[in-house]
Amino acid sequence: MKARKFLLVVSLVLLMAITFTACGAKPEEDVLNVWITWGDNPAQLQALFDRYGEANGVKVVVSAPVEEDQILPALTGSAPPDVLILSGGDLVKSYAQEGLVVELSEAIDTGGIDLADIYDAPLAQCKQGDDIWCLPWGADIYALFWNKDAFEAAGLDPESPPTTMEELEAYAEQLTVVGDDGTIEQIGFIPDQAWSHSDLYVRLFGGFWYSDDGTQLAVNSQPMIDMLLWQQQFYDKYGYDEVLAFSTGFGDQYMSPDYPFYTGKLAMYVDGEWQTGPNFISALKPELNYGVAPFPYPADHPERANTGVVQGTVAVIPANVKDPEASAKLLAWIMSPEVVAEEMCVNANLPTSKKAAQDPCFMENPKFKVFVDLMGSPNASYIITTPLSLELNDAYGLVEEQVLHTGADPVPLLNQLQEEFAPKLAEALK
Amino acid sequence: MRLSSLYSRINHNHSAPVWGRSRYRSLRLGLLFIAPWLAGFLLFTLYPMGMSLVYSLTEYHTRGPLEWNQFQNFINMFSDDLFWTALKNTLYMVVFGVPITLITSFACAILLNLKVKGQSIYRVIYFLPSIVPAVASTLLWLWILNPQAGVMNTLLGYIGIKGPNWLNNPAWSKPSLILLGMWGMGGTIVIYLSGLQDVSKNLLEAAELDGASWFQRLRHITIPMVSPITLFNLITGMIGMFQYFTQAYIFRGTGGLGSPLSSTLFYSVYLYQQGFQYLDFGYASAMAWVLFFIILGCTVLILKISNRYTYYAG
Repeated sequence: MKARKFLLVVSLVLLMAITFTACGAKPEEDVLNVWITWGDNPAQLQALFDRYGEANGVKVVVSAPVEEDQILPALTGSAPPDVLILSGGDLVKSYAQEGLVVELSEAIDTGGIDLADIYDAPLAQCKQGDDIWCLPWGADIYALFWNKDAFEAAGLDPESPPTTMEELEAYAEQLTVVGDDGTIEQIGFIPDQAWSHSDLYVRLFGGFWYSDDGTQLAVNSQPMIDMLLWQQQFYDKYGYDEVLAFSTGFGDQYMSPDYPFYTGKLAMYVDGEWQTGPNFISALKPELNYGVAPFPYPADHPERANTGVVQGTVAVIPANVKDPEASAKLLAWIMSPEVVAEEMCVNANLPTSKKAAQDPCFMENPKFKVFVDLMGSPNASYIITTPLSLELNDAYGLVEEQVLHTGADPVPLLNQLQEEFAPKLAEALK
Repeated sequence: MRLSSLYSRINHNHSAPVWGRSRYRSLRLGLLFIAPWLAGFLLFTLYPMGMSLVYSLTEYHTRGPLEWNQFQNFINMFSDDLFWTALKNTLYMVVFGVPITLITSFACAILLNLKVKGQSIYRVIYFLPSIVPAVASTLLWLWILNPQAGVMNTLLGYIGIKGPNWLNNPAWSKPSLILLGMWGMGGTIVIYLSGLQDVSKNLLEAAELDGASWFQRLRHITIPMVSPITLFNLITGMIGMFQYFTQAYIFRGTGGLGSPLSSTLFYSVYLYQQGFQYLDFGYASAMAWVLFFIILGCTVLILKISNRYTYYAG
């Protein structure tokens, strides 16, 4: 019995000793955590942020790429990152509505961030009235890629891409090769190659699925119907199943030399500026003979030439950070033109800072410059976001799939979507 | 200790509910021993379950106060088309996927039970796929079922059949996932194999001497004798299928979760989408409780029906 009591006392003393030692341990040096939901090269990102650490006597730990599933627990828990950089602005308004991120006006003032230096289009996706919920770091914009060899083989001038959407339709037909058994061997254009590009096409038809101020839903508007029917024709012409089997047969080859555009199986498609950088075509298929041009406009609307829709990475400060001032200071450094220029140059993404865009690295590659010019174009627009963005995107994706892949009539489907989501949006914006 | 004396002690304790000091000591020690499990159960199972019940009756805000909305989340399910789509897709997998997997794994177990040369090698081969992580095997099957370059359609092509666009065709996506699931049925086969070892050899021999055919022996002896195993596999398979998530989550076509055309939007996938993507945890919690009662109902129903068909040798 005595022995048991002795053991119990010893255990308790040990437990207390461990606890108090841990409590009284010397605090570690200041650490700032930066989470980034993308990142092909985490070491490069860490090296970049180490410079901030050295200059300010703190340790900056970069986690990249952070999985989507980790974000919500971090934003609602007690250990959020000090700055969070998201791949896109889709969820920012939802986070704002739930009080998970900080409104940045104060951080912008204290950090001396020059909003006039940020391009309007990427900044607009972060605004809701006078509130600014995020700051755009890098930007993406989409253009038409065409395979010059395929053009030549089809008897088209390899140096002249289509300038109007009508020309694109004609070229696509000329560039499509169907075998004797009806199987597609080469295709001219797939409108939703790799992912949906409805945001770009609908701007070319003069509308969007929200009103310009993002307060009304316009998902069944005429531009939406026209845009879907325009895309549908590329499937309708050669058979929905045939085109789908052809496009899904590529599998997940986006970063592979077998990507259909690289192999010449797909003659034209829409993609972003990163393709012209060092990590994609130059690395995977350096011999590819291709060109890049702004996406064609409708022949009867030449004023819509050089339309582009800007998306991109955005930085937010979680609402539950332990030191908002330190986060604001770090955010200001992240948004400085020098840092934006360096990071975007390395990754071949567009800088959101106008001063950064003057860096020679963005001008050296004429193909990349097409995208830089597009972002500065008066027709550069942005994706309007609301607290409902993700849910509406998913529901719209289903409609797009039905129209493009099964030949469904878009009108009743879009009407149904409007009916379902208009009250939801009104409720979300209350 | 003899068994009879143990029974008498238990009976004695039942008739004398006044516990002595040693009895309390045993209880204390017992609780101490199961304390790690108990703490885990209370913290990580019972508490979340209780909270999800509370959330299911509220409009949940991640950082704001909960807003009671009574049974609105449950009522909303009735008018939510995607909820019914997800439920139908899940029931399809339960109704077709579970029996097909059971029958196939039973057939494989019978074959693997045959006394042939290299029996253990065959057993290893059939079990191997089940130790491949679900993520890896799904990614592998995405390639096998690729409509252009996939092994499946290439093989079908040799015999003159033009294979379908498996995972990207709404009519074929769920059968493809069932096929994919069958690849990993090694665990079920092993349980069946162990059950087959318990089938009385005397009975089989007696039936054989009486002139029963192989099929008659299977139908009247083997199948009834492994019926408890079938019941176990049926219930665990059904629960697993109701919670079907990983493969559907990994496989997302160009249309995102649930594509093509919501044909792979299963109950758990839709629940995840509502909670973790649209931040509607109230609705997601309500869905979780509905799923709980569906599974509970089906399990009770199967157990009731099984009384008539399950044979316990004891």
